[in-house]
Amino acid sequence: MEQNERTVEFQVEHLVDRIKNGDREAFMKIVAAYQQKIFVLAYSLVRNREDALDLVQEVFLRLYEKVQSYRPGESFQAWLMQIARNLSIDFLRRSKIRKKDSLDGLDLDRADLAADREDPDRFQTGELIRRAVLALPEKQRLVFILHHFDELKYEEIAERLGIAQGTVKSLHFKAIQKLRKALSPSLGGAR
Amino acid sequence: MKICKKYKNEWPAFVGGELSPGRTEEMAAHLQTCAACRAELDEIQKLMAMTESFKAELLEVMDTVDWEALPADITDKACERKVRPAPAAVPLLGRLWKWQPAVAGLFLGLLLGGALTFLVFKPQKPGGLIARPEAGLSFPADMVDRVELALARRETIDYLKRSQYLLLDLMQNGQPGESSLIRQERIKQLLTEKKYLNNQLDDWRLMKARAICDQIELLFLELSQLSPELSARELEMVREMVEEKQLLLKINLVKKELQQDEV
Repeated sequence: MEQNERTVEFQVEHLVDRIKNGDREAFMKIVAAYQQKIFVLAYSLVRNREDALDLVQEVFLRLYEKVQSYRPGESFQAWLMQIARNLSIDFLRRSKIRKKDSLDGLDLDRADLAADREDPDRFQTGELIRRAVLALPEKQRLVFILHHFDELKYEEIAERLGIAQGTVKSLHFKAIQKLRKALSPSLGGAR
Repeated sequence: MKICKKYKNEWPAFVGGELSPGRTEEMAAHLQTCAACRAELDEIQKLMAMTESFKAELLEVMDTVDWEALPADITDKACERKVRPAPAAVPLLGRLWKWQPAVAGLFLGLLLGGALTFLVFKPQKPGGLIARPEAGLSFPADMVDRVELALARRETIDYLKRSQYLLLDLMQNGQPGESSLIRQERIKQLLTEKKYLNNQLDDWRLMKARAICDQIELLFLELSQLSPELSARELEMVREMVEEKQLLLKINLVKKELQQDEV
């Protein structure tokens, strides 16, 4: 297992070296390897297919521009996730300003859309989850998304974010507590 | 219902299958006898069920994306962006030429100010008196030091304030137009001033101010290399840099510190 991870890391570093030298094929391979992971993160935050795809594209364009600043030996995934996280947060900030959106209540245009959906209940539940997850502090939010939507184990999340496994466990617990509190009416709990 | 704290922090990990088999069995056995933990687990599982509904939606959306074609699309765009020529930069000398009188005035002012300061507060032996028999003036050396420090503080505060205004302007407006040329000139003026400020910032009591001024100088240097009409992307990068380094916050803190020391 450990041997496999080392091999993958080595392959990624080799690809990154090739990208630094302008190798188009190597860049395509990196995109193919990480595009879905970035999409999961982006969609979980923006919940719009087109916006999430735009973000995926923007992340890789940024990677292409900044690849020279990647230092071999650093975790490539953690570095890429940092770019994805920064761009997603910027996107949310911009769209928040644009729509004067508030996390306190349901977004009106999204709520209207719910009526047109095949399954409005599921849409509303998804929206509640999205909003509650969005309201989490940044690290808790990332850990929750990676664990539940990307189905990563604590160990993998730790590796991807470049933090300790114990920290991941603690962040996940705190995220769950906050979500329970935020969603208590829907969960039927007394919290 | 009574709250059981025994495994409270571990139920999310239990549900996610993140615990060792021994710990999982231990907690499963505990569940048989503890109603509070059963309720806790039940609520976490309900939350997981809600999460599953979102995940199902995510998977459905992912099915609609052509993942095989996307890497080629993105690669094309990346290469296209890379080969696009950068906007032609107006030669530095050409831009400076327009502002030559202002730059010359500023330079002359700084030169005269520096010369006067040097003549009045000419350094003497430590602890001694600065004697100016022809003027009939004499200053204790520590007073001279205090005055010099106060002057350096004021100039640094002034530099920080103007840099802050410029950064705020970039963060809030930053649209291209006539103002971008003026902004570029302001950047150049601040870069020139920083060169003169460097000597004063060498004082160990201004170490913090020096660090932040150096960061600002680096940012301004990068900006001065770009064309005055910043593209949206360049502007975004600048904003990111300012936010990432918390420049505005640091400027405020250093300014306050300098002002307090002045009092």
